[in-house]
Amino acid sequence: MKDKLSTYSQEELTRRSMLQGLAAVAGTMAVSGVAGMPSAAQAQDLPVVRAYGVPTAALKDWAPMEASIGVRCELSGTSNDVGVFMRDIMASNLGETTDIFIFESGTEDILGPRGLYAEIDTQNPELTLWERTSDDWKRSDVVTDPAGTQWGVPVIGNADSFGYFPAKLGLEPDSEEELSWSLMFDDEGTRGRVAFGKGWAYSFPSAALYLKSTGAAEIGNVADMTGDEAKVVADFLIERKKAGQFRTLYGAFEEQIQLLTNKEVDVINCWEPAVREANAVLGADATRYAYTKEGYFKWGHGAYVAKQAMDRDNVDNIYKVLNYFLSGEYRALQARDRGYAGPNMDLGVAYAEENGWSEEEVAALKATEAKVAKKFAKPFVSTTTPQHSADIEDQWQRFLNA
Amino acid sequence: MTMNIEMENEAGAPEGKTIMKRSKINLSFSQVALGAIALAWFVAVIVPLIILFVFSFFTTEYFQTVYTPSLDTWTGLFASGRFEVTLRTLRVALTVTMIELVVGFPFALWLAKSDIGKTTRAIFLALLTIPFFLDLSSRTIVWRAILGQNGLINTILLSTGITDAPVEWMLYSEFAVHFGMIPALFPPMVLPIYMAISLIDDSLIEASNDLGATPAQTFWRVIFPLALPGVVAGFVFTLGPALAAWVEPGMLGGGFVNLLSSSIESAYTALRYPVVAALSTFVIALLLLLLGALLLVLRRFGASGLTLR
Repeated sequence: MKDKLSTYSQEELTRRSMLQGLAAVAGTMAVSGVAGMPSAAQAQDLPVVRAYGVPTAALKDWAPMEASIGVRCELSGTSNDVGVFMRDIMASNLGETTDIFIFESGTEDILGPRGLYAEIDTQNPELTLWERTSDDWKRSDVVTDPAGTQWGVPVIGNADSFGYFPAKLGLEPDSEEELSWSLMFDDEGTRGRVAFGKGWAYSFPSAALYLKSTGAAEIGNVADMTGDEAKVVADFLIERKKAGQFRTLYGAFEEQIQLLTNKEVDVINCWEPAVREANAVLGADATRYAYTKEGYFKWGHGAYVAKQAMDRDNVDNIYKVLNYFLSGEYRALQARDRGYAGPNMDLGVAYAEENGWSEEEVAALKATEAKVAKKFAKPFVSTTTPQHSADIEDQWQRFLNA
Repeated sequence: MTMNIEMENEAGAPEGKTIMKRSKINLSFSQVALGAIALAWFVAVIVPLIILFVFSFFTTEYFQTVYTPSLDTWTGLFASGRFEVTLRTLRVALTVTMIELVVGFPFALWLAKSDIGKTTRAIFLALLTIPFFLDLSSRTIVWRAILGQNGLINTILLSTGITDAPVEWMLYSEFAVHFGMIPALFPPMVLPIYMAISLIDDSLIEASNDLGATPAQTFWRVIFPLALPGVVAGFVFTLGPALAAWVEPGMLGGGFVNLLSSSIESAYTALRYPVVAALSTFVIALLLLLLGALLLVLRRFGASGLTLR
């Protein structure tokens, strides 16, 4: 039976889709000269919404959005370093020149109440898809603060775990068996063959989740540990580090791909697209992205409006873009190209069916929806701005320096 | 105002007095210029350092600086092991600098004073400048494919039967970080020394030989003292970047060689400016101590011009 969730299937679909896309673009270009459809030159005349944020939220090609809503989005990319992101907004006063900020959950808890983000006007006439968007997404911690104020619109989300080589772990290539995070931290078979992210915000909570699940540590919120809780986890990681569990502590997405493609490690806590990229080089199902027993690093990106933007004459266009992030077209393209889910996945499926995507592609979209739903049923929701960040960062330094 | 009055008086004064007043004018102008430079330097360099030092006594809570003076940040440096990071960084940077000096000085001497032709010298100088035109990350990441478990060296070692298992310490280790930094920092050490040695008059070396000095005596009593300005410049130009190294520890250290730049970056992700300030202050204090020690050592070699004596 063909595995609809396999990254191979998705890669194949992507390739086919690209060919179809090229054909469609060629057709569109031919027609546009005759029928007056938007051309590249005309796109330059479209109203512009300026965004700043992580590029994973961007479409690989914004042309479909420009054709759909008649607005051009200029995204200036940043890394997923929350310190850099918040400094740019607070100290560099980016809101003067930027309309939308796109980042992982957490910044809205700080920048919203401090007056740097504008509260979302859910009644804005351009936000037509707001009402039909489920509360699971639109009222999640990604876009609201603890007081419930709506600071953002959900864009994409996923549940991160770890990539692995099934053959090295003695698993079938198409296995959907739920694996334990012990493979990352505590397994004799993987000792010395594990890559662990060296950023505290991404890697520390996963170790805490594992310890909490095994009962080795009592931790309230793994995404926001107290100093004492973080110390227990750091002690465990130091012990594992000294035992030689980790081959390397990596720093960047490109390193994730390289470590997998070079077969330098067997297991790595990484982003799902890294597994896709590795399989593109190594072949179908050479690496897999794990379903886990304990849970996942669940994250979401939100789009937040700069406070100053509300005083400019571009608000309608900003809300058109926000609404587009909730639409079926954006959902389908993001799921196909990156494997990420988001709100209104059913609209994504409908869009694919209406626009002649193949059965396999539609099935892959449904599979993405099912995959994320399955993962989201387990803990834990991450944040980039834990209340105890200073204590957590201190304990992470202990681990790095040990 | 003072300068104008003196210039007006100058017109009707006898020649001797004119010269005296000119020197007064020059002195006043020099003093003004010196004062302006000192003030600019104070504002541009000293004031930020003072602010940095003051900031180190604040703390951070929930991504916000708390402006209540305390020693928490400083005590936290020791509790989190960041104190060790500073010492480790200093150790690695000094090791690399000394290796560069030991390897670079003979090379610079050969390049400046050997019998090689102008073309050969020009080619070697050009080769030394090539690294400045290439991105450091691109140059460094190549070593991974060479030093890794499945890299070129391990492939050769395994295929020739020299080893039974991949040699792991070549990558993601302090060795790898040193190895990556040495080629990157070779030109900053060699070029100033080469310049200093090139300026040494050959007749001085010939005179030393004529007076019966051995090659070692000529080196230690003539060449090395005269090359000291280049050595000091090379030392500073190498040590500085080595202390701030970020690419090589990140790409070749595999997270196991946590140096100052990574530690500061980590603190920065939580907007912990006071920690960054404390770390920087600590490093500056260590550097001042180091430069003081260096000057004392140089005095022993008779480099009075470098010792403010």
